[in-house]
Formats: sequence, C-alpha cells, structure tokens
Amino acid sequence: MTEAAVATRRRINLGFDRFSGVYVWAVLIVIFSLWIPSLFLQVSTIKQVLSFQSITCIVALGLIVPVAAGAFDLTVGATLTVSVCFTAWALANHHGIVVASVGALLIGLLIGMANALVVVKFNVDSFIGTLGMSSILAAVAYAITNNSQIVLSTDGYAPFLNFARGQFLGLPYSVYYAAVVAVILWWVLEYTPAGRYLYAVGGNPVAARLAGVRVGRVTTLAFMTSGFVTAFAGITLLATIGTATPDAGTGYLLPAFSAVFLGATQIRPGRVNVVGTLVAIFLLATGVSGLQLAGAPSYVTSLFNGLALIIAVSLAVRTAKRRG
Amino acid sequence: MTAALQVRNATKIFGGQVALNQVSIEVQPGEVRALVGQNGCGKSTLIKILAGFHRPEPGTEAFVGGEPLPFEDAVASEALGLRFVHQDLGLVATMDAVDNMAIGQGYDTGRIKNIRWRRERAAAKEALAALGYDINTKVPVGLLGMSERTAVAIARAMSTRGTPPKMLILDEPTANLPGAEAQRLYKLVRRVADSGVAVLFVSHHFDEVFEMAESVTVLRDGNHIITRPVEGLTEEDLIELVVGRKLDEHVRNDEAVDHGAAVLEAKNITGARVSDLSFTVHAGEVVGVAGITGSGREEIAALVFGGHGRGGVVEIDGQALPPSRPDISIDRGVALVPAERHANASLMMQTLRENITIVDPGKHMSLGFMRRSNERADVQGWLDRLDVRPANGEFTMSQLSGGNQQKVIVARWLRQEPKLLILDEPTQGVDVGAKADIHRLVDEAAAQGAAVLVMSTDHEELVRVSDRVLIMRRGKLAEVLTGSALTNDAITAATIGRDQAAAS
Repeated sequence: MTEAAVATRRRINLGFDRFSGVYVWAVLIVIFSLWIPSLFLQVSTIKQVLSFQSITCIVALGLIVPVAAGAFDLTVGATLTVSVCFTAWALANHHGIVVASVGALLIGLLIGMANALVVVKFNVDSFIGTLGMSSILAAVAYAITNNSQIVLSTDGYAPFLNFARGQFLGLPYSVYYAAVVAVILWWVLEYTPAGRYLYAVGGNPVAARLAGVRVGRVTTLAFMTSGFVTAFAGITLLATIGTATPDAGTGYLLPAFSAVFLGATQIRPGRVNVVGTLVAIFLLATGVSGLQLAGAPSYVTSLFNGLALIIAVSLAVRTAKRRG
Repeated sequence: MTAALQVRNATKIFGGQVALNQVSIEVQPGEVRALVGQNGCGKSTLIKILAGFHRPEPGTEAFVGGEPLPFEDAVASEALGLRFVHQDLGLVATMDAVDNMAIGQGYDTGRIKNIRWRRERAAAKEALAALGYDINTKVPVGLLGMSERTAVAIARAMSTRGTPPKMLILDEPTANLPGAEAQRLYKLVRRVADSGVAVLFVSHHFDEVFEMAESVTVLRDGNHIITRPVEGLTEEDLIELVVGRKLDEHVRNDEAVDHGAAVLEAKNITGARVSDLSFTVHAGEVVGVAGITGSGREEIAALVFGGHGRGGVVEIDGQALPPSRPDISIDRGVALVPAERHANASLMMQTLRENITIVDPGKHMSLGFMRRSNERADVQGWLDRLDVRPANGEFTMSQLSGGNQQKVIVARWLRQEPKLLILDEPTQGVDVGAKADIHRLVDEAAAQGAAVLVMSTDHEELVRVSDRVLIMRRGKLAEVLTGSALTNDAITAATIGRDQAAAS
C-alpha cells in the first residue's frame, strides 16, 4: 500500500471512528428532543444525568488505570462496597469524619496492594485473581455491617452528607469530584511518563520490560490507584445515599467496565482513555434517561447498556481489522 | 534384502526454482543414515515429500520396503511404515505420555468406547522401556526432560498399532538437547536400528553424524553429492562436501584497528544453555557471535543485558550489572535490540513516537507536562536519520513493514547513545535495503565509540559488521575468528564443527 493511501484512510478514520460516540450522542439528543421535548429538554434532565452518573464516572475513571496496563480489576464493585460500609461503620461508631474517610482511602490502597500481590507476585491472571479478591471483599463488607444496613440520619450526619449533597451552581459536589478526578487522570495518562508506562505494559509487557519499564511496579501502582479512586467514590456514594448496605457497590461494576471498554473505541481508538470513557458514560446515560422519560420500563437501562457496549465494540473491532 | 527406503530421481521445483534435482537414495533395514547439507540444500523438501506434504515432479519414484509410495498422502506414508519425528516433537505439553502416544492413533477402547486406561498405560510403559527409558507416564510431558520428551515422541512414532514401522525419520533430533542428554539419544537410536528399523536423520551437528550414523548422504543446492560410510571420513572432508569447495582462506582485508578501553567484560556467565562464557568487548569494537540454534548463541543477549537471571558476572566499565534488571542495565548505558521484534520489542498499537521514547518518556517534561512538540521534533530527527518510511511519528507501529519496524527499534536505542549496543538477530525478517541501512548504523555506532555485540545466524552479516566473531558450540565458546580468518565459510564450518571434547 502506498503512503498516500495510508494517509487518506487515516484521515477518514479520524473523522468517523474517533468521534462516532459523540455523533451518536448528538443523534440521541436530537431524537429525544423531537420525541419528548417537554420532558427531555429540561435543565433538570441535564442535572439529573450528571449527578446520577458521578459515582459511575469516578469508579470508571479509576478502573481505566489498571485496564490501560492490561490488568482487569474486578474488585472495583466490592471495593466500593467496603469503602461505603467502613465509612458508615466508622461514622456510626463516632470515630469522626476524618478517621472514617482517611481510613476508607487507606483501605482502598491496601486492597490495591493485595490485588497486586495476587496478580504480580503470585502470577495469577488478573481476571481470576481479582474475581477471588472480590469475593473476599464481599465477605469483609458483610462482616463490617453485620449483614444489615447502617443508616446515617439526615440530621445527625449533616456535615458528612453535605460532602456529596452540597451544591454549587445547582449541581451536587459529587459532580465536581468526578470532574477533578477526570482532569487528574487525564493529565497522568496523557502528559506524564506514568501514562506511557501504563500503555506500554498493557500493549506488550515483555517489550516494556526490555525497554526498562518496571512492569511489576507499574501494575502494582495501577491497582493501588484504582483502589484509592474507588474508595473515594465509596465515600461520595455513602454521602449521596446516606445508607450503607453490604451490596451497595455491586451494581457499579458492570457499568464501569462497559464505560471503559466503550470508551476505548472513542477519541483514541484501541486504547482506554479518559475522554472516551466520559463520552461513553454520558452517551449511555442520555440514552437511558431519554428512554425512561419516554415511558420505557426500568429494565431498559440494562438492555440499552448491554446492546450499546456490544454494538460499539464490535464496530470498533471491525474497523481495527480493516485498518490492520 | 529389500531396501527399507528407496527413492529414485526425486525432483521438486518451487516456482521455477529447483529445490531437489534427481536425487536418489537407498537406506537398508537397520541402517542409521545421516542427511546433511546447508539451509536450502533440499533436505527438508525431500523429507516433506516422503511425509506426504509435497507432491514431487513426475518421474520421482519411492518405495518403502519394496512397496511403491503414493505421493501427497500422509496416511499412506504412515501405513507403509514411514514414521516422522519433527524438531518440535509435536507433543502436547499439558498431557501425559499415555495421552500423547494416543494422539493421532486413537486409544485402545472397550465395548462401550471406554478407554482401557490400564492397558493403555502398560503399553506406553512397555514401548518406552523398549527404548531404554523408564518414564513416569502420569505427569504432563512438559515436566519431563528434553531427552525424555524426545523418547516419548519416538516411542509414539515407533508404535506398532496399524503397520509395523520400517523407517524412522528424525529432523534435527538433538537440536534441543544438552550434551549428556544427546548421548542418551544416540543409544536410543541404536536400539531402534537394532530392532531392524532404518533410521534417517537430518542434522547440523556433525558430532551426532559421527556418533550415530553408519552412513551419510550430503545434499547441496538440491543435488545429491555423495552417499558414503562415515568410517574413514574426516570432519574436514565432510565440511568440504557440505559447503562445496575448499574453504576460502582469505576474503576480508582488515587493517589493524586500535580499539578503546574494555566496555563489556563478561566473566563466566552461565544460563540454561551457556556455561562459563567469558569475553570482552572494547569501545569502538564490533564483536559478533555465531552458533547453531542450541549452541547458546540465542541466550547470550538476555544474559548480558540482564533480561533474565544469570550466573557469573557482567561488568560495564568495571561496574557489575545486576541480573534481571533491564532498567538498571539501561541506566548504565546498555541497549538491547532483541530478537523476535514482535514479541520482545514492538508496541504494535502505539505510535512510532511512543515506541521510540518509551525508554525515557520524561525527557521532554517541563512544568509537569510532556511537551509533545519537542518530543515530535526529537523523534522526527531519528526517523529521518534512519530513513524510516513513512517518516511520520504518529503512525502506529502496526502500519509499518517489518524492516521499518526494526529501524524504529534500532532508533529507540541509538537515541540513548549506549556504551554497549547489543543486537540479537538484527536483520531477521528484514528486507535487503533495510538490512544494509542497519549494518551502516552499526558501523556508525562503533565509529562513535560504542561497544557493539551482534548475535546472528546470518554469517554474511557477521563478516560484514564484526571485528571479531565468537563461535559458540554446545554452550561453550569454541573458537574466535578474526582478521583474515573471518570468512563466511569459516564461520559456517566452525559453528558445525566437531567439539574436540566430545570427540575425545
């Protein structure tokens, strides 16, 4: 193939591939605006989408880091639960906000180290290793809560609950937290050597090692990052819902993974990235909330998420094949 | 007596190129015959014709024990009694000896198709015992030693289920075996031959030709050169028969070059194959390493660079290099362009820019951000210097041809201005133009004072770039060729030469 042909094909890809999610998002907005203008075209809809998604967003952003390094971290759901339960337990036992939240963040780091121990030192495949760790963490969550709910009353815990529920410019703080996490991780992945190392390890660990990358260390730090970020998401989630249950985080695992993989088809096709993940989350959220506003039954959320993931990724695979 | 194998006028043409030209051979029952020749001499073509992979040209005839052999029919070859053991043995590492021996010929089953395990296991034991091996048939063959694995493969080939074997054909049987294990295999082959089966083996190891074979057939450029008894044959004669002429004595015209101080000192380094290897590379010097596969050549790059653990000491400028720490090796000024680019060097889905700067991505960092424009300019300079096409750092590695990918990897390391540059098979799968470019870059690096170590199976390449060539045989440094003694033929002869130690 000639150089010119390569260049042309690339340019076409730049136009369509990378931003296909953005186009689909725009199309969805137009469809719902025409279909149910009175319900969809409201500031409240935007606010609702943003605040509903802030937790998923933070979890997915943290998850990007190990996935970039080629490691699955299936513990994010369980880590979220443990963080929620520990924070609630510490608060309910009057250890104070600082102890509760710093403790939760440390636990997040510890979980990351434990995952790394299993995956890096014991050489267990990350999918299996973190699946096992998830189960262990689920047990921990049950132990902390004694298999019941811990409810933080609105009156008694107002300062803590305000951590997520407080508002600025009409949006809850949790939305801003997600934005800050996104900016930090975007900087790390795109503009620091750490980002290059992560993608190199994810792309070819043998080659990365022979190029001087400390593969084990990079993987360990990746797991610790996702543990820390997920623990932070847990604190935010508790402050949002005010109740800790031993399955609080379970429902976030699949949406986070979907967003990361769908995001890998966007902006920088073929690699997981921050902006792509954000596009994926809001694309899915817009579709779901539009359908719900239009009166679709609640199971449509799962259906839409699943279909969108499979369709988007299969299209991306096809494009990659054509290009390769 | 009917010959076990008789081939008449075997001819095969691939796309106008004659691979095998009117070759006739005959092997008697119980005879052990070596088939030798350089790469591309036609020996694998001949074997593939016998195995039923290739259809030979009309006029070719073959008989197994007097019966005519139909061509391009693997089942018929097997049914007539031809048995093959290929270099990779074709075993499933995760299954035990019993399962492996049943592959391809089926299990002994009972009335309801149940496998008769006890009978099956006893039969396997017996077959291995007949070859002089007592092997645990309950562990995966991957856990067995190499000679035991070879025995399992040969036992499978010798199985009498169906027709009894008349001829065993081995492709490079000791390529994977260290010295002592090879001795065990020689005995095994002897047992096979004593049972009346003819053995034909392909080999690059002249050791085993002299140890195992009674007779030898030499092929060169598709032609049958000679078939004769091994007895009375000297190693020099055999090399001359294989290479086709008296070895050239003098081709290179070397000036005496004064090299700088010692950069690399390897002292008694030891690995899986290599044992007790010591050598020095000086600044501005290019040292080549030659050796057949299995000689330890393929391991040296990793041992010196610290890609994996090692025994012995590697010093750079007098400072010892810790093993298994590529990052420290790189910091100390060592660079490795590894063999098998896809597996060991390329980040296929990443850009050329990212592939080149992965060693030091922080180089263009300021105020907490990597400056892409500086990085691009830096990379562009290297792409232009190495004439990478397309010279666009934003292309992904997967969009480039093999030769250009290799240039990108070379650029990655030249950019580090290494004190010691290690290249392992630097031009494998690389086109002629890129090859010449890479050779020129090696010259330049040495001229600028780098010590260069090149491992290669391409002997012309070694003659082209090296000041000195180390010859590896059976894990040891066997010879050093330099100056006028450094020729293509001399390297070839030395790599397949017979070990004095093994001969005595």
